[in-house]
Amino acid sequence: MGETDVETKTEVDLAIPWNVVVHNDPVNLMSYVTMVFQKVFGYAKEKAQKHMLEVHYKGRSIVWTGAREQAELYVQRLHGYLLLATLERTQ
Amino acid sequence: MFIRRSKRDLIELGEIEPIEGELLRQLPSYCDPSGDAKSEERLFSKPADPSEAQIIRDWEEFVRPEIRHLFLSARQVVEKDLEQLNSVSDSLEELSIPLPHGDAWLNTLNQARLVLAARYDFSEEELSSHESPKTFFQRDVALMQINFYAVIQERIIDALESG
Repeated sequence: MGETDVETKTEVDLAIPWNVVVHNDPVNLMSYVTMVFQKVFGYAKEKAQKHMLEVHYKGRSIVWTGAREQAELYVQRLHGYLLLATLERTQ
Repeated sequence: MFIRRSKRDLIELGEIEPIEGELLRQLPSYCDPSGDAKSEERLFSKPADPSEAQIIRDWEEFVRPEIRHLFLSARQVVEKDLEQLNSVSDSLEELSIPLPHGDAWLNTLNQARLVLAARYDFSEEELSSHESPKTFFQRDVALMQINFYAVIQERIIDALESG
């Protein structure tokens, strides 16, 4: 693979939106997860609770979608709060 | 024991029974995942699917050390606050946590609960059971500790949100 191919692939990676996904963890308290969503994303309590319940009942919730760099920062913050969070390509 | 937010922007833990004081003193020691791969894996989980090898490599090199440092800093804040408790006590004690230390406490309590849960491999059903244990093996005691720390977490969240 040539250098141009690598550059193109990296540009595509940065251009496509990425999901921030939070996965269920039976140890983390529901109130704690809600609080973390409010702190990290600035969500209102109702929206934070909606995502928390989705995590709890469906096993995962896409809590944010957007540019890769910002998504990485969000995943880092969520890990700092000990939540199981991953970065996923939307395509 | 009671936990409440005071007018002086403190989270006050009062009437702490000797056994509760002992569990609080032990809290930072349970946060260490050393020697237990499952605990280490849970505290420092992967940021992406294994197919995203580059993301995972970069994360391990640059982000994981920062997260490790964050966890250690939170524990140090809690250890400092815990110095208010006597090393051995047979009477009721009190502990005041400055409000800005609330996040460090929540983080440290979570570290301990996650390490204990991973180390003893508790199932979701066990963690959500509120039945009293029928035996008192080390595993039963660990589950009680997880639940005890959860109650403190809940009360600290209440105190932080009641401002």
